[in-house]
Parts: sequence; structure tokens; C-alpha cells
Amino acid sequence: GEKPGLTCALDRGSLGFPFGAQLPHSFLISPPVVKRRLVKLVVNFLFYFRTDEAEPIGALLLEHCRIAEEEPSVFSISFIEEPDRKYYFECSSEEQCQEWIDALRRASYEFMRRSLIFYRNEIQKMTGKDPLEQYGISEEARFQLNTHQA
Amino acid sequence: MVPGSPLLPAVRTRPWGALCSAPGFPSVRRVRAVGAMKLNEHSMAHYAVSGSPVDHEGFLRRCSSQGARQPAAGAGGSCPRYWFVLKGNLLFYFEGREGRPPLGLIVLEGCTVELCEAPQEFAFAIRFDAPGLRPYVLAAEGPEAQEAWVKVLSRASFGYMRLLVQELERQLCDTQLSLASRPGPRHWPHRAGPPPDRPPPQPEAELREGSASAGTEGEQGATRLPAPAGRRRLAENCPRGPAGMPLNGGDSPVSPETSCFPKLHDWYGQEIMDLRREWLQARGLGGGL
Repeated sequence: GEKPGLTCALDRGSLGFPFGAQLPHSFLISPPVVKRRLVKLVVNFLFYFRTDEAEPIGALLLEHCRIAEEEPSVFSISFIEEPDRKYYFECSSEEQCQEWIDALRRASYEFMRRSLIFYRNEIQKMTGKDPLEQYGISEEARFQLNTHQA
Repeated sequence: MVPGSPLLPAVRTRPWGALCSAPGFPSVRRVRAVGAMKLNEHSMAHYAVSGSPVDHEGFLRRCSSQGARQPAAGAGGSCPRYWFVLKGNLLFYFEGREGRPPLGLIVLEGCTVELCEAPQEFAFAIRFDAPGLRPYVLAAEGPEAQEAWVKVLSRASFGYMRLLVQELERQLCDTQLSLASRPGPRHWPHRAGPPPDRPPPQPEAELREGSASAGTEGEQGATRLPAPAGRRRLAENCPRGPAGMPLNGGDSPVSPETSCFPKLHDWYGQEIMDLRREWLQARGLGGGL
């Protein structure tokens, strides 16, 4: 099932760097300018488009990030190495905003990995059997307990 | 470039913005528009070298395939050796083991991995489903390494992980049902919105608390396991699952879209340093041409 692309206003003032170059501070605009963008969540990437274009103008990798509700219809994405740099998204309703927050929080590969380890552990505790054995992947490092840290 | 100038968005987001929209330059537009996609590069580089789990790593030679751009010269001839690090569905490569930041990134979505008869021994190729994307041909240092890489890369996609998680979540639900005869209080009050006391496997909580051992997750999760509950009641709550994971198709993250990923593949397929040079040159020439 494809998550429908939703149009959200994106704070251009906090957009990321043009690729391959540092963004000089003089480019940060205050007060922030709001731009309408089409935003699409695809696996652990958040693509954004101009509303009339088929090609994305940018993408955010959603690993090691924090999704926060800023106002009832506004959420932000920030990354752990730069917690003050926030990408703001204004949604058309509180409900839409909450949907996006939920989806984005579940969108990281790391989140899925932790979920997998959690389920595996629970099933093992309840049944005494390792559910990954039938797939032949029990020994893969990425599925082991106590080897993962955020 | 003046902040607030109407030219600023075009210049800042697409160094070749003016050229892109000029008539008679469709080929340039295709090439440049792809390269001009913005990414949170700094965060990606940080993720690549941070303490996040490494699924596989090692030296691999990157071979040029037919008609492809040659890898950087002076780095070991036509098949330079790089240090590759796989994290989830992201394959980063570095100049060397201690190289920082990564030179490039291959996003392992919409692709297949197979052994191949390349110029080098122990080679394998990452081929993309989307048309027009050249495959990556990499060579390991021995047959065991080759096999290990092919296996781990074949299972690196987000979709694969998602299938696994959904399968285990379903198994857990079934197991809980089959143990429904166990007495105990209910722990699954119906919630209208997202549960405020969300279980630990949540990125935000993890980041705030630092590393949370899986043991802790397990214990906390155990207190949330439902005791006897009818199938319908569990079905109500199962869509979220103990870890808040979506179960039914409607809530799942989308399937990989080839319309988006060729852009990523192509962007990451080039050395970031080379592109940085190009971008700076373009800027120096008047910011757009």
C-alpha cells in the first residue's frame, strides 16, 4: 500500500545544504520562508518535490533522526548530530500531522531492526524457539541481541 | 546571491537551475537535474561513521563496467580498492578503513545482487531494476568474502527487513493467542491516538536515552504483552504491535519507488568530492551556468 503523497509546507529557511557544499550562514532566512512541497516517504527516505514536478528536488535519510510535534499541525525532523537544525513541516490538519509523525518514526531501518530483535526475543521467550532459524539467518550479526546501540 | 532574491531558490537548490529550464538543453537537464538533488549529506556522513550497527564491512575493488565512468584514477588503477561499510540498506564506501567522510553511497533498493564474470576474480554486480542505471561491479578478495557479500547485500533492502518484521509480528500475535488461556490482567486499553507510553523500540526514545539494550526492550515489552483477549480485540491492537509497528498493508511504509531511487543511485554513484568540485566551479562561473 502506497502512502499517498501529501502536500506540506516546508520551511525553506531550514532546508539542508546544496549537495557537496557548505551552506553559508548568510543564506539562512529569517523569518523562515514557507514553501509548498510534495513530500513522499519511500522506505527510509523522505523525498520532496515541487508540486508540479515529477523529479524530487531533495531527500532526507531518516536514520538517527528525531521527529517532534512542534504545534498541533506542525512537526519537525532533526538529526542527532545537529539537534538545533530543524526541518519544519506544516500539515493541513492535526490528524494528518499525527499520521506523518507516526509513519516517519517507524520509517528508519534501525527502528525495524530493533522491532525485529524485540519480536524475535519475545517469541523465543514464549515458545523456546528462534523464529529466524527457518530463514537461515539466525546467526547474522544484525539480528543479535545486545549488539546494537543507537 | 542575495537572501530573499527570487533567484536564490534556483541557485541554491539547483546550481544549474537556469540551464535546466533553458530550451534546447534536455540532455544537460537530465544529467544535471539528477546531480542537483539535495540531501542531508552531513547527517548521512555522520550516520555512516557513527556507532550505528554495521552489518558487514571489508575491502572491495570497484571495477568499471562497460560504458561506465571510470573510478578515480591514481587509486589503484582501474579497479581501486575502497573500504565498504553496509548499514541497513545503505552501502557506504570510504578511501580507507579510517577514511572520513564517505566517498559515496549505494542505496540497496530496487536492485539485485549476483555473481559475475568480471575483469576481476570474485566479482559480483549490483544491478538496478530501473533502466539506464549502470550496475556496480565489485570484487572481493576471496571466494568466502564474495559469497558473504552477495548474501548480505541480497538481504539488505528495506523491503526484506519489513517482510521479516511483519512475519515475526504475525507470529507473535498468533503465539499470544495460542497462550490465551493464561490468566492475568489486560494491558491493552484501546487508545484513540498513538500510545503515550510507547514501547522502547522507538527512535526518539532511543536517542534521548542513549543506547538501550535489547534486554531492556524485551523486559519492558513483556509487561505489555496482552493476557487473554479475543481475536478481534487483539486484531484491533495488533495493527500497532508491541513495538508500534504497522501490521496491515495500509499502514506500512511504501514500497520502493523506482522513480525516486534512480536519482539516489545516480547521485551516490559518483564520488561526492568530484561533485563538490563541479558545483563550486559552476558557482564560480556565475551561479547557474
